[in-house]
Amino acid sequence: MADNQQTFSESWHRVANQRIYLRSSVRVRRQYYRGERWYVLENPVSNQYFRLRPQAYEFIARLRPDKTVEQVWEESLETNPDEAPGQDAVIRLLAQLYQVGLLHYENPEDSAELFRRFQQRRQREIRSKFLNLMFIRFPLLDPDRFLKRMLPIVGPLISPFGFLIWLLTVGGALKVVLDYFPALKDESQALLAPGNLVWLYAGLVILKTLHEFGHAFFCRKFGGEVHVMGVMLMIFTPIPYVDATSSWGFSSRWKRALVGLAGMIVEVFVAALATFVWANTGAGLVHNLAYNMMFIASVSTLLFNLNPLLRFDGYYILCDLLNYPNLHQHSAGQLKHVVKRHAYGVATSKSPTDKKSEKTILVTFGILSHIYRIIVFTGILLFVADRFLLIGVVMAVICLFSWIVAPLGKWIYYLFTSPELDRVRSRAVGVTLGFVGVLLIFLQLVPLPHHFRASGVVAAENWAELVSQTEGTLMEVLVEPGAQVTAGTPLLRLSNPELSLEMRRAEARLSEVKMQLLQAMSFDGVDVKPLLFQRQSIEERILVLKQRQEDLIMKSPIDGIWVAPEVEQVIGRWLVRGSSLGRVIHPGGFEFISPVLQDDVDRLFANEIGSSEVRLFGMAEAGIEVTSMDIIPVEKRQLPSRALGWSGGGDIPVTQEDEQGATTAEPFFEVRSKLGSSGDAHLLHGRSGKIRFDLKAEPLLPRWIRRLRQLLQRRYQL
Amino acid sequence: MASDQFYQVPKPRPMYRGLDSVMHGWIGAYQRRSAIGRQLLQDAEAVDALAPRFEVMNDHELRAALLEFRSVFLRRPKHDAELEALAAVREAAFRTVGLKAFVVQLAGALALNRGHLVEMATGEGKTLTAGLAAVLIGWTRKPFHVMTVNDYLVARDASWLEPFYEFCRIRVGKVVGGASEEERREAHRCDVTYTTSRELLADLLRDQMKNRDSATRSRRILKQMTQSRMQGNQRGVLRGIHMAVVDEADSILIDEAVTPLIISSPRPNESLKKAIYHADALVRQLSERDHYTVQSTYKEIYFTEAGRQKIESLSHDWPGIWKSEARREELVRQALVGRVFFLKGKQYIVQDGKVVIVDEFTGRPMPQRSWRQGLHQAIEVKEGLKPSDPSETVARMSFQRFFRCFTKLSGMTGTARESARELWRIYQLPVVCLPSNKPCIRRQHQRVITTDEASKWHAVMEEIKAVHHQGRPILIGTRNVHVSEKIGEMLDEAGLRYQILNATRLSEEAMIVARAGEKGRITVATNMAGRGTDIKLDPDVSALGGLHVIATEPHETGRVDRQLFGRCGRQGDPGTARMFASMEDEIIVRALKGSEKSYPMTALSSLLPRPWMVNFAQWISERRAYKQRLAVLRADRWLEESLSFSGQS
Repeated sequence: MADNQQTFSESWHRVANQRIYLRSSVRVRRQYYRGERWYVLENPVSNQYFRLRPQAYEFIARLRPDKTVEQVWEESLETNPDEAPGQDAVIRLLAQLYQVGLLHYENPEDSAELFRRFQQRRQREIRSKFLNLMFIRFPLLDPDRFLKRMLPIVGPLISPFGFLIWLLTVGGALKVVLDYFPALKDESQALLAPGNLVWLYAGLVILKTLHEFGHAFFCRKFGGEVHVMGVMLMIFTPIPYVDATSSWGFSSRWKRALVGLAGMIVEVFVAALATFVWANTGAGLVHNLAYNMMFIASVSTLLFNLNPLLRFDGYYILCDLLNYPNLHQHSAGQLKHVVKRHAYGVATSKSPTDKKSEKTILVTFGILSHIYRIIVFTGILLFVADRFLLIGVVMAVICLFSWIVAPLGKWIYYLFTSPELDRVRSRAVGVTLGFVGVLLIFLQLVPLPHHFRASGVVAAENWAELVSQTEGTLMEVLVEPGAQVTAGTPLLRLSNPELSLEMRRAEARLSEVKMQLLQAMSFDGVDVKPLLFQRQSIEERILVLKQRQEDLIMKSPIDGIWVAPEVEQVIGRWLVRGSSLGRVIHPGGFEFISPVLQDDVDRLFANEIGSSEVRLFGMAEAGIEVTSMDIIPVEKRQLPSRALGWSGGGDIPVTQEDEQGATTAEPFFEVRSKLGSSGDAHLLHGRSGKIRFDLKAEPLLPRWIRRLRQLLQRRYQL
Repeated sequence: MASDQFYQVPKPRPMYRGLDSVMHGWIGAYQRRSAIGRQLLQDAEAVDALAPRFEVMNDHELRAALLEFRSVFLRRPKHDAELEALAAVREAAFRTVGLKAFVVQLAGALALNRGHLVEMATGEGKTLTAGLAAVLIGWTRKPFHVMTVNDYLVARDASWLEPFYEFCRIRVGKVVGGASEEERREAHRCDVTYTTSRELLADLLRDQMKNRDSATRSRRILKQMTQSRMQGNQRGVLRGIHMAVVDEADSILIDEAVTPLIISSPRPNESLKKAIYHADALVRQLSERDHYTVQSTYKEIYFTEAGRQKIESLSHDWPGIWKSEARREELVRQALVGRVFFLKGKQYIVQDGKVVIVDEFTGRPMPQRSWRQGLHQAIEVKEGLKPSDPSETVARMSFQRFFRCFTKLSGMTGTARESARELWRIYQLPVVCLPSNKPCIRRQHQRVITTDEASKWHAVMEEIKAVHHQGRPILIGTRNVHVSEKIGEMLDEAGLRYQILNATRLSEEAMIVARAGEKGRITVATNMAGRGTDIKLDPDVSALGGLHVIATEPHETGRVDRQLFGRCGRQGDPGTARMFASMEDEIIVRALKGSEKSYPMTALSSLLPRPWMVNFAQWISERRAYKQRLAVLRADRWLEESLSFSGQS
């Protein structure tokens, strides 16, 4: 079978005297793909299809019960010597048609062979089911009769008139969405709340059922039969599906595309209806359900169904619109061809297409879809592993095997054993080894600069909090905030009448004790000692009270700028001891305090840090140089500013328990970086921003490995 | 008997894929475990212990006992009966052919009866072993064939054992080339039929062709029922294929199993002949480099752009088939292949105005063979002969597939363990190695590996002279007739007398080989020549140190080397053997440098010590051949599965 160009075949006698012809039940349709003519043979019993080139079809069409294959072949050679298939090609063609069950032949004998093939196919199906663990299908029922019966009712809607209704409804819904956009956004935060998941799923099932019926009705409307409906376990979530593959036999590609789109058309329509419901109901069950349906219809439609990179509706629509079936296989084929032809120099390698434009499409599609698939599946994997560790691990192993180990093994096997490479094997092996080698060397040996960012806040290097040392009512702000003050300058005055009363009471008590002392001394000094102690304690008390009276005048602890943005509001209010009233900030130097989580801090400890710079929010264009840096080697959990935590709009996870939102979910280390000249940026204490640490150049591979291990460690404590 | 004319070829044994094949491999390893061999020897000892019971019987009693066993076996061969029966059969063999089977031979016979592939050292009496087993199997009256490599051995073995079989109430028949249909039918009807695999497969295919027009089973049965009244030539000749013992199993099942047997009939095709004349004329105007390039390792020809244009312009006015570019180039390429790769005197000779293919290894002309459609005619035209009618394949089956169809297959050979895995994988035949009866005292000398061929031949001649001087006989094994002739010339120069095996008659070949053990003899033979014939030593030769075997070149597989060495040191005889190799030998060049100069392994291997290189080259070519066999098998199976509607082979 090596070369289909051969005119004669050694196996010709196997078919030469056979009388073989297409089964009478086989339907033939002519289709155009990319302007080329094809014939699609359909086996209505098994719902299997086979596509033929016109030359091949011409031959097949000639087969008749009253002629042997040999006679037909000679006939076709005579009429069309140039195009007629060679004997080998004929044998292969017949073999393929036979396997799809399209041929009628005279030996009904080999039922064992038939059975064996049936078993083989079943095995393949089961195997692919397990390999497609995330998309297992369970066919349940045959909806064809139901569809047929319903068609008179639903059918008329699949028309320009129906489209008009659809357009109006969706347009109206869009307007509602725009009108209610803020509310819509607010509610989205509660979407993944545990209580909502049930409704989310309910919405999903309703929508997807309608979606599938969309496919089914469109397909039925255009004359295709729909015989299988069932449940698919998509990432362990049961979801309905129908098998509308009979639409592939439609000769109009627009109809095919429309059947593909049908699901989304229905879904968007339902979403539009749901929008009206949502807008016109108050919070409650119906409202919730409507909201969820809107969400699913839009997000899932855009992300999954319409996306051609995964093999959902969008892919098939794209195939139809490009008029290019089997885009996926062909793009993989084209990628392989590119490697074989250009890297390995296999002269016989054939591209699946001849047109240049198609080649570009195929290559682009191939690369994009691979990347996208890897991303999506990695996401799904992590998602599943988070929930069910065991299944996640099993899936990861399966994925690892089927995506990495198996293809790699196949590739190596191909490299060393394929007869195709016989003549260029050294080049193929060389190129591959070279490529892998260069890649590994690059990843392992070539250090690449890298950096990471951490958020943090600006803090003055030298500053002091002005905290009330005693309680009292704030009476007066002695110095306007913003002014330059020196140490000892009185800034605030508190008053505490209780304090002066207590003072007076203490003084009175002192004179009383003094009197008692005198009296006691005039008698025989019996009880003097306790009185002496009393006097001493009262005197000490007076000292304390004096100090506290002095503290009512709050003075600047250091030289600097007096900052008290909220002090005006506190005037006249009773303050407990320890209230913070403002700060005095020494304007000399500023620090940037950034909490760095455990995963990253290791890099800081291990690496020499090159230069780093700070960019403040709102002043991203101006980088502020960092002159020196200290990593405080102590684990902390209290953020320097709550603006850095999640609840304050930052990116560091904080615990739910702390209402202040300043306690982090996991411990961090503090990095204090001294800021150099700020340039244009105005440094203010408490301003938040991002610091970029430029680490010493390090190759990529060790970095990736470390990241992966950290990920596993953090997520699964492995 | 109408019943034995209807038979169905059993489905071939399954081939396993993927994990199944791994599992199957493990089962095979278990089936080959050494305990099997020990058990066989133990059982054989038991048989030996039973001997006195039958020794005391007179011929009449023994015949009666054998008849008793025969009826047991006809019903169901039991294990107990197996041992006793074998003891009786052994006694029968002793009385008829005068040889008392050794324990090892008894073990071999048991292994054959139990469906193993027995590795027995050469010269251990495989013919008798097969005979013993054949009686046990033949008693069951199922279609049973003993296959060996050539017609000479078929005739020799069958007639040698005939009295023995007769004594055991076994009818024995033989089918050799040229036998008439009636003779064949008669022979296949016997309990034991000696034949070659070619003849048997050909009979099978011809039988199938006769049945071809009755497509369905019911129709076939109807036809069978009415057949006894039909013309004789309408009936099949076989009773069916069921059990077989294959002698020299490794070469039949492995080395020669790739080429399919093709039954063809000539069919006039004037347009093809005309096209071939055209092509021949056209090819004469093409020149290498300008119009085409030659890839000699793969025997392929590539056209250059200029060549394509030239072909097109030259064939512009020619009819039909020349209009299509693909067909046109195919024709021209074929003519070129015939011109470039097929040389008169090497691949073929011209005899009586006909092109006769020469077997490249044995140098034997093969008049019945022809090359594939078109090529044969192209070569005929090249030689200025009238092209013969192209033969058209009417039936075809590969030997691999054929042997896989047997319900019960067993075999014998001197060398099998190297291919044990392949034999299991393809035929599900477990190999069991039996020790030799007497310890082998053959001395294997160190290999001599030279850098170039000239110094190798020099070393070979030195060795021949030295050994010849001692008076010891020498057997020189070569890869093919050309090398044999070359050695002949050198021996002529040295003034030594020698025998060279280029005979066309197999019996003559066997005689020469049989006499190779005489004092002072020098025999040059291809390794295939005279297989199955013992080299018996003169008594005084034994005293000198026995036969010395020289291998002048390593073969593609170590098995064949071992076969050659096995020609000396038989049955405890003394003997020595030495292998000569050079870095310019064909297999080394083909394996290491063959496909490409820059093959990374080549660079690597040139750093290796030379003995390693030889081993490595042998490993590579073995591996290549194995892959090729698997590929053939796979293609074969693909056809079978996908064309099962055609219901034939």
